Amino acid sequence: MKIDELYKLKSLFVTREVGDELIIVPLSGNVSNMNHLFTMNETGKLIWENLRPEENIEYYVKLIMDEYEVDKDLAYNDVNMFLARISHLDDNL
Amino acid sequence: MKAHTLQLRIAEFNIELTSTSKLELDEGYDHFIVKQSPYINIFIACFAGFPQGLSLKSNDLVFEATNDQQKFYSIYKQSDRLIFILYNQKKINTVQQIGYLDASFSHWKIFSQGINGVIQPMVYPMGPILLHYITLQSDAAMMHASCAFDGINGRLFSGFSGSGKSTISKIWADAGSQIINDDRLIIRYQQDAYYVYNTPMYYSDRSKKASLNSIFLISHAPENKIKRLKGAEAITKVMAFSIQNNFDPFWVEKRLEFFSKLCDQISVYSLGFVPNENVVKFILENELK
Repeated sequence: MKIDELYKLKSLFVTREVGDELIIVPLSGNVSNMNHLFTMNETGKLIWENLRPEENIEYYVKLIMDEYEVDKDLAYNDVNMFLARISHLDDNL
Repeated sequence: MKAHTLQLRIAEFNIELTSTSKLELDEGYDHFIVKQSPYINIFIACFAGFPQGLSLKSNDLVFEATNDQQKFYSIYKQSDRLIFILYNQKKINTVQQIGYLDASFSHWKIFSQGINGVIQPMVYPMGPILLHYITLQSDAAMMHASCAFDGINGRLFSGFSGSGKSTISKIWADAGSQIINDDRLIIRYQQDAYYVYNTPMYYSDRSKKASLNSIFLISHAPENKIKRLKGAEAITKVMAFSIQNNFDPFWVEKRLEFFSKLCDQISVYSLGFVPNENVVKFILENELK
């Protein structure tokens, strides 16, 4: 899923911060999706909170590198894991 | 024309039903009928027959409860009011009831087909839907869960259908606990504590209340095993088994706030269990004292 597509989806979720994690609840028009609540870890939360349609993957890699002082490979891995997980979010709307 | 009035007290919420038609409730409501409440939380005006001139547009549809075979209910939003269309589960796509709920969530109008001048306004699923919307305006939530109360501690058991909610409650009952309910419960926060209440079911049972001390998310397992859940994991897993109509961000935020505070104060566990009496001892040995 591309960053701008993800940004468009963001308004269809309600979030709550719990410690370093983020809970994401899809706004759904169907009862069958009511069990689909998500949690995001610290890095997922950082990306979610900084989603902007004009940014690309490299921006978020740098964001994670700066925030957590990790190397580029690890940061890439975090961003890709986030995108893989998040790509299923719109199945629940 | 003579007005008929019934008052109910469910989970310490006071509900008044009025109609010019005679009102009839399932036997599950028998022990929830009260003579006169000092105050009323929810007013329900009940009517025989469906409203004339109701026009629903697909754009107004905000929520649908369906499965592969049929619709259970649909919710439309027009101006500030919600309109509920409830379907007969034995006759596919046949409307059973229509409900109007005002913006304050305190006044309902329920339209039902009368039979010989008698109407049943709380017929399933109207009863649970109505209770869900009562909990939304309070520090409360409705859960798919059972609860056993040993006189001091209330233990709530929730999980998917077939996970053993009734089974584990029965095991606790055999060990001397009282079953509060084995399917639908209301949790309320009152005076710095959480309580569990039963709700009217298809069978007759008296109104019950217990303190809530721990929540177990259960599943069948080859051996008893328990794990304490905390933070976001506990909140999402408990909330997943609550009744939700997640179309309005305001109410979803309120729900998240309720379950966050609940899971902060009440211990939550994941429990895999073997369905025999040993699970009682296992829980007593492993839960937080």
